[in-house]
Amino acid sequence: MSKKNKQLALVIDLNVCVGCHACVTSCKEWNTSGSAGPLTDLNAYGASPSGTFFNRVQTFEAGTFPNTQTVHFPKSCLHCEEPPCVPVCPTGASYKRKEDGIVLVDYDKCIGCSYCSWACPYGARELDQERQVMTKCTLCVDRIYSETLPEAEKKPACVLACPTSARIFGDVHDPESDASKAIEERSGYALMPEWETQPANHYLPRSIMETIDAARNDK
Amino acid sequence: MRPQFSIIFFTTLAGMAQGLLFFIALANLHSQATPSAFLTNLALPVAFVLLALGLVASFFHLGHPERAWRAAMMWRTSWLSREVIALPAVMAVTAVIYLYARFSQVPQWLWLALLFTTIALWVCTAKIYQCIRFIQEWSHPSTLTNFILLGMTSGWILLELLIAAWGDASVQMIDAPLSIIAFLLLFLSFNLKLWIWTRNRKLKPKSNLASATGIKGNNIRQTSMGLMGGSFNTREFFHHQTDKVIANLRKIILLCAYVIPMILMAYAITSPNFLVITLALLINYVGLLAERWMFFAEANHPQNLYYQRVS
Repeated sequence: MSKKNKQLALVIDLNVCVGCHACVTSCKEWNTSGSAGPLTDLNAYGASPSGTFFNRVQTFEAGTFPNTQTVHFPKSCLHCEEPPCVPVCPTGASYKRKEDGIVLVDYDKCIGCSYCSWACPYGARELDQERQVMTKCTLCVDRIYSETLPEAEKKPACVLACPTSARIFGDVHDPESDASKAIEERSGYALMPEWETQPANHYLPRSIMETIDAARNDK
Repeated sequence: MRPQFSIIFFTTLAGMAQGLLFFIALANLHSQATPSAFLTNLALPVAFVLLALGLVASFFHLGHPERAWRAAMMWRTSWLSREVIALPAVMAVTAVIYLYARFSQVPQWLWLALLFTTIALWVCTAKIYQCIRFIQEWSHPSTLTNFILLGMTSGWILLELLIAAWGDASVQMIDAPLSIIAFLLLFLSFNLKLWIWTRNRKLKPKSNLASATGIKGNNIRQTSMGLMGGSFNTREFFHHQTDKVIANLRKIILLCAYVIPMILMAYAITSPNFLVITLALLINYVGLLAERWMFFAEANHPQNLYYQRVS
């Protein structure tokens, strides 16, 4: 894919994510009732509820006491520029849009074989248990191109919900976009670069970790 | 990975049928014409039923089996799609050979087509797994070799059983006892399995928490996967068994798929016996089911790095 094409993506700032899961719930709310839904929940009020989500917030710890850090880590489809999930799909249900680089699933073509989920190293895809089709983050494609929403709301639901502005949405092929500038100025990185999937989503590293490392080196 | 029973049954049943058809085709190409009655009344129907059972099993893998026809669309890029084409191709060639054997002579080009399609199906099936580059246990030519060798082994034992059941010396394909070949195939596949297990044990995962999260610093560990009740990610990519089950299953695989059939075949070399060959085939098949189960269970998916801890 030529770099001239648009590539919409999220840039996630690990400095300010507080792990509140607002992006998770707002994503679920919008997408379960939108064109990507329903994202069904099974046994929702039982002992082990299980449901489909496009976005998860995980928590990691690094370092050794007392120099430890807790990092909240939102994870959703990274809309890879070389998505390994797309060529393996036997029906063509899994595809990457040429015009904006969003990776989507056509639910009417999906046979629910789960092969694409095996071919995603990030675990970004979830088979909906009730609908038996593969689901994943759509970058809220039905919001960003909406003809009825006000201009300010034509962004993914998770971006609008984030109380700390940890999620930056934009075209990472446009050097003038906020997303590209954030990646450029704050050393945005991709997950699991070893598999050469070229994720479009990037993460901004915690600068406080560098401070801790510097302090440790000074000792 | 979670072992998928639909695929376990499909690959073992179809693999055995492919092995059977492969050797029949090979024998006929090598100017050893199989009697038509043996083909039409026994060998081809058995192969066809095994393939059909495999096909039925594979449908249970799908969330939307009624859309299965769509899976033939993406043959340009997807090995799964190619497999969806190759399996009916093997069945179609088998059916055409059946008709030729029934009503006239089977032309040589059909045996060649059978040889080609059975190999093509093995390649497609194995490549489905082998082409996933980040599942390091699968992403190696030994995956293809193992599928072919085990299919040939079980197919050959089945062929030997069918010949024994037919009870007519005219179908004997080679001068030596068939059990010698069976023993050699078992011995080869046994050594390949040991080699694969050694390789798997020595594998160093290319991905780790540092590359998966990009967090700088030492001693990275997960404290929460962000959900408590499980999800597709926790169900699909883990085998959910204890180490003890896995260790015991490895012993069952070694004994059932390889060692016991080898002993039985060694016995059958000197005194060929229908019962011994039947026993060897059945025990080998049980071992193959366990082997295919383990093929999934021992595959470590990098996404599991993100699903380590509930809190």
